[in-house]
Amino acid sequence: MTLRRKPAGIGRRKSAALLLTLSTAVAGAALAGPGAGVGQASSHREAPLIASDPQVDNTDLYAFSSPDKSDTVTLVANWYPFQEPNGGPNFYPFATDAHYDINIDSQGTGKPDLTYRWTFRNEDRRGDKTFLYNNGVVNNLTDPTLLFRQHYTLQEIRAGHRPVTLVRDAIAAPSNVGKASMPNYGRLRNQATRRLPGGGQTVASQAADPFFLDLRIFDLLYGGNLSETGHNTLNGYNVNTLAIQVPKSALAYRGNATRNPVVGVWSTTERRTLQLSPGKATPTGPYVQVSRLGNPLVNEAVVPAGLKNAFNALPPSQDHNQPRLVGRVLDPEVPKLIQKIYGIPAPATPRTDLQEIFLTGIAKAAGGPLAVDLNSQLLNKDIDKRRFVPAEELRLNMSTPVTADPNRLGVLAGDFQGFPNGRRMGDDVVDIALQVLEGATPGHLVQALAAGDGVNGPGRPFTGTFPYIALPFTDAVNQAG
Amino acid sequence: MRRLALIATAAALCAGLTGFAVLEHSADPPGPPAPLSAPGRGDSVPGGPQSMGAVITKLQAGLRQQPADAAGWAQLGSAYVEQARLTVDPTLYPKSESALRRSLALQPQDNTAALTGMAGLANARHQFGQAREWAGKAVAVDPYAWAPYGALNDALTQLGDDPAAQDAVQHMLDLHPSTESFTRASYALELHGRTTEAAQALQRALDDASSPADVAFCQHYLGELAFNTGHPQQALDHYHRALAADPTYTASLAGSARAEAALGQTDRAVTDYRAAVARVPQPQYVLELGELLQSLGRDGEARTEYGVLRAEQELFAANGVVDDLNLGQYQADHGDPQLAVTLLTAEWHRRHSVLVADALGWALHRAGRDAAALPLARQADRLGWRDALLRYHRGVIEQSLGDDASARTDLAGALAANPHFSPLHAPDARTRLARLQGHR
Repeated sequence: MTLRRKPAGIGRRKSAALLLTLSTAVAGAALAGPGAGVGQASSHREAPLIASDPQVDNTDLYAFSSPDKSDTVTLVANWYPFQEPNGGPNFYPFATDAHYDINIDSQGTGKPDLTYRWTFRNEDRRGDKTFLYNNGVVNNLTDPTLLFRQHYTLQEIRAGHRPVTLVRDAIAAPSNVGKASMPNYGRLRNQATRRLPGGGQTVASQAADPFFLDLRIFDLLYGGNLSETGHNTLNGYNVNTLAIQVPKSALAYRGNATRNPVVGVWSTTERRTLQLSPGKATPTGPYVQVSRLGNPLVNEAVVPAGLKNAFNALPPSQDHNQPRLVGRVLDPEVPKLIQKIYGIPAPATPRTDLQEIFLTGIAKAAGGPLAVDLNSQLLNKDIDKRRFVPAEELRLNMSTPVTADPNRLGVLAGDFQGFPNGRRMGDDVVDIALQVLEGATPGHLVQALAAGDGVNGPGRPFTGTFPYIALPFTDAVNQAG
Repeated sequence: MRRLALIATAAALCAGLTGFAVLEHSADPPGPPAPLSAPGRGDSVPGGPQSMGAVITKLQAGLRQQPADAAGWAQLGSAYVEQARLTVDPTLYPKSESALRRSLALQPQDNTAALTGMAGLANARHQFGQAREWAGKAVAVDPYAWAPYGALNDALTQLGDDPAAQDAVQHMLDLHPSTESFTRASYALELHGRTTEAAQALQRALDDASSPADVAFCQHYLGELAFNTGHPQQALDHYHRALAADPTYTASLAGSARAEAALGQTDRAVTDYRAAVARVPQPQYVLELGELLQSLGRDGEARTEYGVLRAEQELFAANGVVDDLNLGQYQADHGDPQLAVTLLTAEWHRRHSVLVADALGWALHRAGRDAAALPLARQADRLGWRDALLRYHRGVIEQSLGDDASARTDLAGALAANPHFSPLHAPDARTRLARLQGHR
């Protein structure tokens, strides 16, 4: 099965993440161990088995030409979904044994030509006296009342070069512990925003989850009643966000965004493992990729269930070696479900159009049915096209002009700067994905599904300047409604 | 009291009433208040602490709507196992099995979640050979799934296949370094006597833990490591941190009691043990309380606890839990050593873990068969686990065989590892050692 219902009312998502993750979340609370329950603790220890791992869970990725600085691109990657803003000393740190990466493939090889990597360390001044994260009002990042801070280093890693440290030991904006403690979170986030050498800026912060959808739409594919849509399941929850704005030339192949305007982007998280080799174990080991995200909804609506773990572990350069993945793109399950439930005929297979959207980017040279030159690295003039491989990436043509009045349906509505040509905060990727899966093309929507999930924008509006993502919510979700 | 409810349930089961529908089980069985509800958090808070009962209720509701949802049945089956672990209610195991089998019937192919659930259930029932098989099937379906390697490791550890168990942990670590794999790594390291590294692995597990229950788990086992290395005050601090993270983490209440007893705070220890047993009648807590009471000369109260323990063991057996190890350990020290030898010999035929080796060796000693006991006591030492009780057992066996030099070394070693390892046996170790050293 590709689609999973949301179990037990627990949402979790990856990108939109409706499905699979849901199971992980329940598991976190629920499916722990193969516990014995009997016997000496020492005789049969029951360890947790299937916990969720939200700290390293990629939820969404955005890549767009900055609307207010059109010579730059903004990349925003989110982690750690469903952060409840209220309810006590809640703090949602980044993991300190992880790499938080945004990867850029400018040649179409499925391998990163460039990686922006954030790593974190904790500064914990709480001691044993308190478990609270602040002992007074926090007006500034450096206020002594803030007892727990995360510092981060941002590196730029280019293939074949030594890593360059762009930001050393900067302070991340903390989780917002509430209006009384942090009366002006925007000020904290501004203080946390750092200029980059060579132009650009970055910030690590908590933010309102910008993804918007009705998670129940996937329940309803089973329930067969789209009239119940329209509730933004994610409204009120926060995420951790890493945002970076850089000149287009920093991303483009050979630094030339005119000749090589297309980049493929995906985010990954790696965690450091541990070596147990007998006799010389050290508590460290290499880093292992545990989460990956490019296009929204791919992990939910495209990747087959038995391949999700592999998908999260593999680099995009391996996608074309996964026949089950390619097969599912060419023959997706969602349209069949919709046909069964709503009687809307599924488009004929193989779906080479979807292959173009998800795996190659849209270009005449990609050989697919969408004969438009939009966002494949094959459009880059200086690359070696023999090295090009189909790979699941969020592809952005940086030369597409910024749209003055963006349309939430992006390319489908003739707004070629929107998803799937990169992704902006306001792009309604659930509705777009449903339409695309049903075979819609620009200007030709599938009317029966035109209402989509009935959620057309985020609960808290994104902003017009970097980092665009909204400040975190502060009210308990159950009250915020 | 909770235990009476359990025993009543056992009686019902024994009367053949096991066929009730899987979904009919109310989420929170009668007895003490469900220990898992966290104050101030709604049930629907994703990612927040949820009571297992609430999770089960929601899964049940969803499955009433979508009875063909194979993944939902798999989750429900695993949730029952977890609920059973937290509440020590083995009547949930048959329900778990029904749910998991239903999942497998609905989706026979590629059902990693249900296969992993079956492995977890088999582990919970101490059917470690079956657990290994189920986990192997899950791995075959999805080699990138890391959870089955956890169940596989648990099974292999208990079966005594230590190299394979270690491989499974390493595989799990390399697929998904996380609290689930670091905690297992810690146990593997501890069993191999690498206590410092075991604590480091637990610290990493703690750093990655995102739920109160996982934080409590890591703090608790940091406490266990501290206690087992002779640091009861440090252990108590860890147990308190576990309870601060998750006040319902009863294992740390029992741990606190054990540490308090070691620190001489016996009244507080008895109180905390009784509170822990009232919340979750884990046989281990009952046994420890009984032994503490016995060490305090309160033999009548101790006998009451041992009676409860025997009833619980019958209940577990009635629900498919094979636990000859636990029962044998109890019989060796407090009941019939011959029976203990019978039970543990059967267990030894099933699996060769160091724990079974130790228990069988000790039972043989208690039955007067020290020559047969010694090779098993040495088997128990094969990984280098620095466990005071194991070493004490070996020392006593050696002493009985007249090997005073070895006995002195091992008894002193046991007390050096942890002077408070048992309220009954640590004083005995001291007495024996003094006798062996000639200062009576």
